[in-house]
Amino acid sequence: MTGNISGNAYALTILSPIKDGYTPDEIAYADLIRDRLQGWNMEHNSPMAKVPQTYLCRFFVLDDVYTESLPGAGFLDTLSDLLPVVPDRTRRNALPKEDHLQSRYLVFSCNFHGGAGGDLEGYLRGMWGAIGDRIREIWGYCYGFEQVTDADTFITYMKKCQLPAALFFNGSNDEPLEEQLKALYLKQELAKFAAENQGLDAATLRRNFQAFMQRVAPTNLAEPTWPAGKYRI
Amino acid sequence: MSNIAGKAYAMNVITPIRWTTAWLNKLIFWIALKRPSTLRGLITLSLIHYARWVIIGKNQFPHLDSSQPKEKLHYSYMLFFSNFNGSWDQYVDSFTFAIPGGLDLFWKWNIRYPKSVALTPFHHYIRYNQIETIHYYNAYPLATSNDVKSAKAVKDALIQFQCQSADDESDDNFLQRYNALLRGLQHDLGAMHPTPIVSMSAYQVERRKRWHDGSLQKEIAAQQAAQGGQNHDR
Amino acid sequence: MTQKLDLLDIQGNIIRAYGRFGYPMARYVFFNIRHSARAREFVGTVTDRVTTAVEWGEGPGQIKQPDWTVNIAFAYQGLKQLELPRASLSGFSPEFISGMKDRRDILGDDGPSSPENWDPIWAENRKNRDKDVHIFIALNARLPALLEEGYAWLTGVAKQYRDAVAILNGHRGEHGALYDYQDVKAVMENGQPTAKEHFGYTDGIGDPVFEGAPNYDLNVRGRGKQLEDGSWAPLATGEFLLGHIDEAREYPPAPEPILLSRNGTYMVYRKLHENVATFDAYLDEQGRKYPGGKELLAAKFVGRWRDNGAPLVKAPDAESKQKFDAEFAAADQAGKDKLLSDFTFDDDMSGAKCPFSSHIRRINPRASLQMVKGSKPGSMIFNKDAFDTPGALSNRRRILRRGLPYGEVKDRSRDDGNHGIVIMMLNTDINRQFEFVQQEWINYGNDFQEGSDKEILLGNHNADNKFPSKAVLQVDPNSDQAPYMLSKIPRFIETRGGEYFFVPSLTALRMIAQGVVDPT
Repeated sequence: MTGNISGNAYALTILSPIKDGYTPDEIAYADLIRDRLQGWNMEHNSPMAKVPQTYLCRFFVLDDVYTESLPGAGFLDTLSDLLPVVPDRTRRNALPKEDHLQSRYLVFSCNFHGGAGGDLEGYLRGMWGAIGDRIREIWGYCYGFEQVTDADTFITYMKKCQLPAALFFNGSNDEPLEEQLKALYLKQELAKFAAENQGLDAATLRRNFQAFMQRVAPTNLAEPTWPAGKYRI
Repeated sequence: MSNIAGKAYAMNVITPIRWTTAWLNKLIFWIALKRPSTLRGLITLSLIHYARWVIIGKNQFPHLDSSQPKEKLHYSYMLFFSNFNGSWDQYVDSFTFAIPGGLDLFWKWNIRYPKSVALTPFHHYIRYNQIETIHYYNAYPLATSNDVKSAKAVKDALIQFQCQSADDESDDNFLQRYNALLRGLQHDLGAMHPTPIVSMSAYQVERRKRWHDGSLQKEIAAQQAAQGGQNHDR
Repeated sequence: MTQKLDLLDIQGNIIRAYGRFGYPMARYVFFNIRHSARAREFVGTVTDRVTTAVEWGEGPGQIKQPDWTVNIAFAYQGLKQLELPRASLSGFSPEFISGMKDRRDILGDDGPSSPENWDPIWAENRKNRDKDVHIFIALNARLPALLEEGYAWLTGVAKQYRDAVAILNGHRGEHGALYDYQDVKAVMENGQPTAKEHFGYTDGIGDPVFEGAPNYDLNVRGRGKQLEDGSWAPLATGEFLLGHIDEAREYPPAPEPILLSRNGTYMVYRKLHENVATFDAYLDEQGRKYPGGKELLAAKFVGRWRDNGAPLVKAPDAESKQKFDAEFAAADQAGKDKLLSDFTFDDDMSGAKCPFSSHIRRINPRASLQMVKGSKPGSMIFNKDAFDTPGALSNRRRILRRGLPYGEVKDRSRDDGNHGIVIMMLNTDINRQFEFVQQEWINYGNDFQEGSDKEILLGNHNADNKFPSKAVLQVDPNSDQAPYMLSKIPRFIETRGGEYFFVPSLTALRMIAQGVVDPT
């Protein structure tokens, strides 16, 4: 499924069917999942901040598909117009059909650093290891999830829910997350340094810059750096 | 719900496509992948971290268990996911202004697609078929895709600069190299501050931020109280 | 394709920047409606005197240029008080309905610019029905005495309708005194009106040129839209006038019926205070350090030299400026306009001449956003044909600007005098045009690959230590210089008030006055 890989970035698309049932409080499982995800928005940071190599990801519940009713100009939408006279039957048949899903789906769409080979299993293992209990909290009401007991069964389950990308556009750089975060830290610090040290004589500037480089340690990914999910300065 | 995480907006669009023509879309995407020039406008716009198109055949919705009812659909569906910088309007508008042909290429086989020019029907089409994100996580809410890319340029340049440093280098030579370093990075040093509010839903994000600020301050105060004021210099 | 506009149906302030047509002073008066039916009659009486966009002449059958002009516009609350049908009201754009104060977060009106610091007339607006700003009337005049003549006429009419409309007080003037009107006038030098504002910049250059505007073909280069082959074309009329086809080949969204909106537009009114002492001090301090000297630095803030508005892309240094000045002095009016407006950023993609954060590059980037990084470190290159048209990202963000300075700088060492500029911006989509430019290009810089760096002159800067404002003044990637960092930029401009208005056509004005607007 090379469509999921662009450079070192991986596009994971998961649709997990949610069981058609409800809790003793008479809340449908799909709505409960949504409520719990809303709750994640109120935490200090997303549980996903703990999952290694996650660039960006999102969750939502797909309740149903949409039936098109707006006028359109798609090629086949207007094909019947080529007939000199359009019989009513043809006209009605050309109207978009109404579709409905039989299940509601939990959608998880994630972009992560998977390396050139697209290490999906490694990513999912890391996800399970970091937030296994939180995964259960969200996926626990999906069909088939009862078979998930550990990282391996989680990987098997997720692969069953996975859909391939037809096209994956990578508009960023796809280095490992800790490289990206370190780079962002360095960018902010260098801009500050350049402004504060502008116009100094060469010897002083050189001394200050040496101290700066020692402080920011460009090759040390562990520190100082930005934590994943940092939203405040 | 939260379509916004810092400087990124999560867009989800689901549109029906005839199962008889779904292969055509896959072909177009395959060509786009093989011919990078197709995506040149997209790269120049530089508003996207990552985007993807997923085509779900009418019989390909995941089926996990025999107790799960089978889907009975007339159409296949195209899912579009994007992580972009800026407001909804800016994104949709920039795309229709800059690469209307590309949008039409990717969507024209979708049922009732109105084409990307004129703008208002296209706005309606996207809104009509959009699904709101409930939880959106971004590893670098303060950064745009441009920032992530320019940060790499900064890091690489700093490491290279360090490699070229020599103890016996003269101060003047250092200054020359330093000036060259900044000159080479003159489009990479934009500040990263919190995002301007891009839409009313961003209030949710703001409120959350304030809540965090407040609760954090309380935590610190509580910690200090617990330490009996021993750490006044914190 | 070429269309002729019905100039008799369009208000004159949309087509003409009066300041450049021999009207160096103006007075803006705002009304609150107290009785709807009688207020419509008031509108009718004023409408009879409203100045249209018609071309003036002294010949037989031509309309003579007036000594003073009258134009009128309405805030959303005003249209409601005039009892426009609900179905028409709901067709106005959401941001017009909400009003400028409500949009403060989008506009970056924070800190000293936040609405609680606005002039009382604007701070009280939309708080208390009796203080709501409903009607805007502008008088522009050739001479002070003529302005008083116009004002006497207006107050006379207002008196006649005192049961129906009340003039709103609360425009701050000298020493904090509150006035019934906002006066604006050109800054004078040796008794002559100039095109300068209080920081010393030449203002009012390069207004967009659109299809159907009189004489557009004379000065379309640099003021219309840039095309593939290097030629220029006027922008679509619908970017500036409702009821006409816009750049997306559609009629811009507008209230119904079409007779209400056609030939009308939206106007953004903003009173901007200028912190002259802060500006002078910052320019002096940085000017001492900046290698090119103080005047070049002042030019870098805006992208034009202060004295005559020479664009930096044409005159990037003192030497080229001298040559420009000689050409400029010898040119006639059309030649001068060409020298000031006819340029692109194609040869300055890296911003070495005109910095990415300068005023003119931020408010009208022309084709320069079609850019990608070049192979030479520090360079940007023009990515030809990446977009549908070179100006794809600029052509739908253009705004007609009508502004004049207010007050006088009596003491340049103080910020708190009565001095600034009242700017009125005209566009058919406030959200897509004015608000976008304000939010994304003035108070933010990602489209210019400058992160959160703001436009230097108008940005809502913070000089604090948490989010200090800065800007990078780029240099030639092939030189041996370092880019200059403007650090801790203070706030030069503070918002003192404003509102969104609708400027109807003459037809719509007469319909509003008669109460016959009917979208059913």
